[in-house]
Amino acid sequence: MRFQPIDQFAKNLPPATRASVYQSTKTTHEKRTKLLFDQFAEPDRLREIAGEIKQHAIENLDTYLPQVEAKLKANGAHVHWASTAESACATVLQIMRARGATKMVKAKTMVSEEIELAHYLEKHGMEALETDLGEFIIQIDHDHPSHIVRPIIHKNRREIAQSFEREGLGSYNDDPATITQRARHFLRHKYLAADVGLTGANFVSAESGRIVLVTNEGNSRFCLAATKCHIALIGIEKIVPRDRDLALLLNLLGRSGTAQDLTVYTEFIGGPKLPAQPDGPEEMHVIFVDNGRTEVLASDCREILRCIRCGACLNVCPVYRQASGHAYRSVYPGPVGAVLSPLLAGEKFPQLADLPKASSLCGACHEVCPVNIPIPDLLLRLRARAKDENVPSPGTPPMGAWALLASQPTAWRAALAGGKLIDYLPTKLIPVPALQAWAAKRELPAWRGGEFRKWLKNRPR
Amino acid sequence: MNDDREAILSRVRGALAPLRERAALPTYDSEVAVMRGLIAGRDLVELFCERARRVGAVALSDPAALVARLRAESRFRGYCDPVLWPRLAPYFAGGDFQVEVTFDRTRVDDYGFGITRAAAAIAESGTIVLNDTTTSTRLAALAPWVHVAVVARDAIFSDISQAVAALGHDRNVVWCTGPSKTADVEGILIEGVHGPGTQIALVVDWESSGL
Amino acid sequence: MLNSERKPITGKRVQLMATCLCDAFYDDVAAATVEVLEHLGVEVVFPEGQTCCGQPAFNGGDWAASRKVVRHTVRTFAGEEPVVVPSGSCAAMMFHGAVLEFEKERDVSDVEALGRRTWELADFIVNGLGVKTWSGRYDATVAFHRSCHSRGTQSGEAALTLLAAIAGVKVVEFGEGEQCCGFGGTFSVSFPGISTAMGALKLDHVRAARPDVFVSGDMSCMMHMGGLAAKEGKPIKTLHLAQVLRDALKSKAAP
Ligand code: SF4
Repeated sequence: MRFQPIDQFAKNLPPATRASVYQSTKTTHEKRTKLLFDQFAEPDRLREIAGEIKQHAIENLDTYLPQVEAKLKANGAHVHWASTAESACATVLQIMRARGATKMVKAKTMVSEEIELAHYLEKHGMEALETDLGEFIIQIDHDHPSHIVRPIIHKNRREIAQSFEREGLGSYNDDPATITQRARHFLRHKYLAADVGLTGANFVSAESGRIVLVTNEGNSRFCLAATKCHIALIGIEKIVPRDRDLALLLNLLGRSGTAQDLTVYTEFIGGPKLPAQPDGPEEMHVIFVDNGRTEVLASDCREILRCIRCGACLNVCPVYRQASGHAYRSVYPGPVGAVLSPLLAGEKFPQLADLPKASSLCGACHEVCPVNIPIPDLLLRLRARAKDENVPSPGTPPMGAWALLASQPTAWRAALAGGKLIDYLPTKLIPVPALQAWAAKRELPAWRGGEFRKWLKNRPR
Repeated sequence: MNDDREAILSRVRGALAPLRERAALPTYDSEVAVMRGLIAGRDLVELFCERARRVGAVALSDPAALVARLRAESRFRGYCDPVLWPRLAPYFAGGDFQVEVTFDRTRVDDYGFGITRAAAAIAESGTIVLNDTTTSTRLAALAPWVHVAVVARDAIFSDISQAVAALGHDRNVVWCTGPSKTADVEGILIEGVHGPGTQIALVVDWESSGL
Repeated sequence: MLNSERKPITGKRVQLMATCLCDAFYDDVAAATVEVLEHLGVEVVFPEGQTCCGQPAFNGGDWAASRKVVRHTVRTFAGEEPVVVPSGSCAAMMFHGAVLEFEKERDVSDVEALGRRTWELADFIVNGLGVKTWSGRYDATVAFHRSCHSRGTQSGEAALTLLAAIAGVKVVEFGEGEQCCGFGGTFSVSFPGISTAMGALKLDHVRAARPDVFVSGDMSCMMHMGGLAAKEGKPIKTLHLAQVLRDALKSKAAP
C-alpha cells in the first residue's frame, strides 16, 4: 500500500525525536494559552484585530510598498528589490563586493533560508556565519531547521555536544549552559571581525519606515552593534501600516511564539546609526524580496501572507508533533508551511501538493494564530487545486462513485442494505485500500445500514 | 535592481486589481492590548521593578547596592557612561574597581560590566529602553556579562502601547526585557547567550533631563 | 456559525439530518436524537432522500463531486424549518465548508440559506430552544470529547451544559482536551499512522481520567477512537450525547 510521504516520514522518525518535539511544543503551547487568557479579557479579539491589520496591509501593498521605500530612503537607507531568490542573493553579494567586504554575520531570517543565502555567499568566497545558537548548530551540522522559531527542536544535547567537539569548540560536554557559553565566546569575536550584519525583519512600519526585529539571544543586536554595514532582507508582506499597530503585534508575537510578554530584544531601526554613536552600521541596505509572494497575493490563499512567523500553529499541530519539521521538505513546516510552501513553490506546486493533505483539519492552528489566518480553509483550497491539476494523492479514496451514490437516494438505500457484506467478509479480502488502512489498527463497527429508517417507520407512536 | 522594482510593483498591482474591495484598516483602541488590570492604581516604579524581576532582570534603586553586587560577583573591571560617572564614582571608591569611560571594542572580554543610560523603561513588561542618543555605546550595553541601565524614575512608561507612541525620532531604539536568553537546546532556559547574562535596572531619583 | 448570525427558531418542527454514519452504523444515535427532540415537544420530519452532507469529497479536494452531493442535500432539505443534525462535523460542513466550495457558484445563496437553518443537536437544544435543564437520571462518570468541528461554535459549551444538568452525571476533565482525536475523514485512511498515533494519545488521556463512558457529539471521532481502543484489546464505552440524554430520560443506568 502506498502512503502519504509525511505519514511515512512520521513512521520512520526516531521515537526520541518525536518525544522531544512533542514535549517542547506542548509546553510552549500550554504556556502561551495560559498567558493570553490570564492577561487579557478577550485574547481572540486581539487576534481578530491583528488579522484585519495585516490583511489590510497586504491588500494595499501597491500603496504601502512605494510609501515605505520613500520613508526608508528619507531615513538614509538604500532600497533594493529582488524578484527571485537568485536576484536577492546577487544583490547581497554586490553590496558586499562594493564595500570590499568578505565576512558576514547573520541573524536568524527565514527569507535567507528560503533563498539559501549562506550557501550562495560561501560559493562566492564570502564567509556567512549564523549567529542564532540554533541556526549556528544547524550550520555546522549542514542540517536544516525543523521549526521556524526553534530550529534545532529535533536535536538533543548529546548530538550538539558531539558537533561542538568535532568543530573544535572544546572537548565533549553536553551541559546546555556550557554549550551556550562556548558559542558565546566563539561568536563574539566573529561579530567584531565581520564587515556586514544581515538580518531579516519582523515588521516594517509604512508610516515611519522603522524596521522591527525581535530576538531573545540578542544576536541581531550584536550584528548591529559590531558591524558597519546592515543588510535587511525583507519579504514584501512584512509591512504594517502604522507604528501604533506594532504595539498590538509585538504583544501577540512574543506570547504566541515563545510564551513571553515580550521577546527580550526588540529593535526599532530607523536608519543607519547616529553620527555620535560609536557602534553600529553607517550604511544600511534594505532588500525587498518577492520570491513567489506576489503569486500568493494573486491566489485565493493570500491570507497566509499575514503570517508573522510565530510558530504557534506548529506548536499546537498534532500532525507536526508526530512528524516533526523535516517531514515537510521545505523551509516552512507545520500548518503555515503546508499552505505557504506549495504556494511559494510556483510551478513546482505538484511536488509539495501533498503538504496540505497532512491535516485532520482540526482547526487548532486557526484557533491559536495571532493574525487569525483561517489555515484549514486554505489547506482545503489547495487540496482542491491539487485535484484540479490532477496531482496524484496516495491513500485518498476516489470520490466520483461515492458522489454518484450520494446524489441518488434509491441507489443510496440499496447500498445501505448491501453494505452488510462487510460484516461477513474478512476485511483483508476486501480490495479497498481505504478499508484496509482503517482496519489495520481500528475495528469497524457492525454494519447497521438502513436500520434507523426501519425503526422510524415501524415504531409504535 | 531597478527592473525588479518595476516587476514586483506591477505584479502586486496585477494581483490586487481583481479585488472588488480591499480590506479596511480596523479602528481600534490601543488600550485593547494593554494589561490595564495589572497597571491600574500601581506606582510605576514599583510595578516596573516587579515586572523586570519577573523576566529575570535585577531591579535596584541604590547605587551602593549595585556596587555591593558587582563586588560580590568579583566584577571589578567595567565601563561606565562618562555622563554618569561623576555621580557614580563616589560609590565605587575603595580602589578595587577599574572603571573606564571609553569602551575599547578590541578588548570586549575585559569588561565585566557596562553601565549605560537608558532613555526610558516600560512598567508593564519590565523593559529597559535604550537609544542611540542617550546610550553612549551599543556594545557596552551588550558585550559585558553584566549590563546596568540607569533609569530615571520619571522616565517610566506605563505600557507597551505608550512606549511605541513615544518612539520619537531616534534612529535606533532597542527594548531589553530581561537578560539575553535561549531555550534552543532541549527547551532548557539559559541566560547570557550573546548579550548580558545579568540585566540590571538601576532606578534613580535623578531627573531624566539631567541624565 | 455563531447563533447571532442564524435564523431564529419560530415553530416546533425540524428536519432531521441523520448523517451517513448513523444511516450506516449508528442507528441508535439517530433514534435517540428523535426521541430527545420529541421529548422536548419538537416534531421531527425525516426527509427520506437524504444521503450525506458531502464532506468526504470536500475534504479530499474533489469539490466537483462534493458540490454534486451538496446540491442534492439542498434539494432534499427544502423548506423553512431548522435542520438538526447530531454531528458538529456535518453541521460545520453545512454552514461553513459547503459555502466555501460554492464561493464561485451561482447557487451559493441556496447553500448559505441551508447553512443558516442548520443546527448541531446540543446547540439547538440549549441555544435554539433555550433548554438548560434535563429530567431523569444517569449515574455515570463522563468524559466529554469536544470535537474539532465545534471549535468557534457554541456546541461544546451547550453539550457540557446539558451533561451538567443531568442528575447523576459527573463530568471529568482530561489532558489536552483541545487536541484532535486524529479522525479527520479521509485523513484517517490516507495518514493511518499519524491518525492512529493521535487517537492513541487521546485515549491515554481519557483513560487516565477513568470515565465510565466517553461521550461526544460526533460519532466519527468515536468510531475512530472506539475502533482503536477495541483493536488494542482495551475497549472503551463510547456514546453519543443524544444517547446519554435519552437514557437519562428513561433513568437507565449507565452501561
Ligand atoms: S500562520 Fe499564524 S500561527 Fe502559524 S506561524 Fe504564522 S502567524 Fe504564527
